[in-house]
Amino acid sequence: MFVDFFYILKDQGIPVSPTGFLSLQEALAKGLITSLDDLYTLARAVMIKSEKYFDMYDRVFAHYFKGAELKGPLIEEIDRAIKAMLEEWLSSPKAMADFLGMDENELKKMTPQELEEYFRKRLEEQTERHDGGNRWIGTGGTSPVGHSGFHPGGMRVGGVSMGHSAIKVALERRYKDYTKDNHLGPAQISEALRQLRNMIPAGPKDQVNIRETIYQTMKNAGEIEIVFERSLRDKLKVILMIDNGGWSMDPYIEIVQILFNHASNQFKDLKTFYFHNTIYNKVWEDPTRYHKPFYVDDFARLDPETRLIIVGDASMAPYELMSQHGSIAYNSPQTQPSIKRLEFLAKTFRHNVWLNPRKAHTWPHTETVEIIREVFPMFELTLDGLEKAVAHLMQK
Amino acid sequence: METKIDKPVFTGTDTYVLDPELAKIVNASIALEMPLLLKGEPGTGKTLLAYAIAEDLGMPLVVLNVKSSMKAVDALYQYDTLTRLNDSRFGDSKRDVSNIEDYIKMGKIGQAFTSDRRTVLLIDEIDKADSDFQDDLLDVLDQMSFDIIEIDKTIKARHRPIIIITSNSKKDLSDPFLGRCIFHHIAFPDPDMMRKIVNAHFPDIGEDIAGACIKAFYALRDIKGVEKKPATRELINWIRILLMDPDFDPEHLMKGDIPYLGVLFKKSNDYRLAQKYVSQA
Repeated sequence: MFVDFFYILKDQGIPVSPTGFLSLQEALAKGLITSLDDLYTLARAVMIKSEKYFDMYDRVFAHYFKGAELKGPLIEEIDRAIKAMLEEWLSSPKAMADFLGMDENELKKMTPQELEEYFRKRLEEQTERHDGGNRWIGTGGTSPVGHSGFHPGGMRVGGVSMGHSAIKVALERRYKDYTKDNHLGPAQISEALRQLRNMIPAGPKDQVNIRETIYQTMKNAGEIEIVFERSLRDKLKVILMIDNGGWSMDPYIEIVQILFNHASNQFKDLKTFYFHNTIYNKVWEDPTRYHKPFYVDDFARLDPETRLIIVGDASMAPYELMSQHGSIAYNSPQTQPSIKRLEFLAKTFRHNVWLNPRKAHTWPHTETVEIIREVFPMFELTLDGLEKAVAHLMQK
Repeated sequence: METKIDKPVFTGTDTYVLDPELAKIVNASIALEMPLLLKGEPGTGKTLLAYAIAEDLGMPLVVLNVKSSMKAVDALYQYDTLTRLNDSRFGDSKRDVSNIEDYIKMGKIGQAFTSDRRTVLLIDEIDKADSDFQDDLLDVLDQMSFDIIEIDKTIKARHRPIIIITSNSKKDLSDPFLGRCIFHHIAFPDPDMMRKIVNAHFPDIGEDIAGACIKAFYALRDIKGVEKKPATRELINWIRILLMDPDFDPEHLMKGDIPYLGVLFKKSNDYRLAQKYVSQA
């Protein structure tokens, strides 16, 4: 039963396995499923193994059992556009009202829900899309409006309440927030960074080596000879360089901050430096980039086995990177273009990565990103990218 | 549906408020004899569920707290070579040095397998250990048996335990492992559900106090930039402290005067953000 359902799930990119499907059949055979609600819950429990896919499951379930339209990329785009419009509206209500040709005060009277609904309507008119049957979209309790709490009414959207029919629950799209990619929180960062370590025996000899103890005891004709050895400690050295200047990095401050906090907890030997846009003859040890400069040439004196992680969007005007006089900071005469400095760093520390908070598909649009990618292996600052970067840093 | 008497069915306990959706999944996991893998934000009651199941079904609970350095064999059994070496040298114990079995101690999974009664086995925070640990456990949980290599003996589960596995981080476990589990992600409870949870913990709490606390709590959870949001566990502790404070008045909460923020926010940065939020309110 429900073979089509299984294949639609598979076609939508959810990794469902035949084993899971057979478990569902077993559940059906055992009489565990007696209603659509049971089916919704149990089919998900046995077949979908990550909350990342719960949202897609909800959509497929609603589609299959009710024929609700699968939400195509167009609607996803509208969702994004609405989010952008709401953010715009928050920062400058007047500009947004003018843009829509509306009175600012009239817009202000709307509840966030009405506002979202209104924006959606406008957008859908604009794309000339037939909007029949799509009324339910956006009521999923995950709208950006509800949680930012900017509205005087202080409302919260959505929330789970049981007793709904399974389809209604599926249509609520409770798991939208857990969808792949857009979730890189502290837990994932520390998990990804945990892989980055280099165990070396260190400290006092306080661990019993059982194998060696037995061997030595036998050699000693049974007279016990306990052999102690040093325990393994993490001795990895890490240098983290953060681009903390310029408006282009502003949207990523939060994620970089989390990365930094976890890196400082994780690595005992961590040095952090700051730069603006790109690296010239010096970087700074203080985030204000004023008090404690550190000359790039001096990195040659540090342990070449140190892992170098650079975080930045790598986006700037090409001359900033390529020209000897490219530095946008006044009063900093340079002897080499920035690209030479980067090449020097990449050569000094053979284990190096560049983490870019911008999405990978946008990289080819910026010339400097492409140039820097030739010097440093570049990874997205997402869970996936971070894991790949860590794997890269751990290569021999 | 035919109800069989020998099949245990879980219905929740006095202090554990069971979401009907989760109840179905727990019962399916018992019926299908598959381990139940639970994920979700810390403090949403993943671990407590195992305690509640054990209590409700009247089964003993065996808890395996996974540690990062743990090897799968540690969870099964331990061969105490040092004691044996010591005994062989000094020979002053009652153990028989030539019998290795005297030096085998059961680990938590071993205990669950050899128990006289059916047990609930909680494997807590499995994601802490590396993926080898999960892979090694796979066969054990699949076959419900493991070998003690040193004495060439197979330990078979006398009663198949009910297995609950929790995972904190959102990192995915290996595919074959997932394939053998039933999966559920516990979402953070909504205010209505939270009210039930609070009522279960504090049966005598007044409506006004519970309402005010929950309202303040959800507002605090929405503070931007907080790294570790307070969860159910923090709320319960916070209410417990508020109730002990003779000066506490729910009216103050409504006005934005929120005491004991340190119970809710445990990272210094989060605490500062919360203080800032409270002083602005």
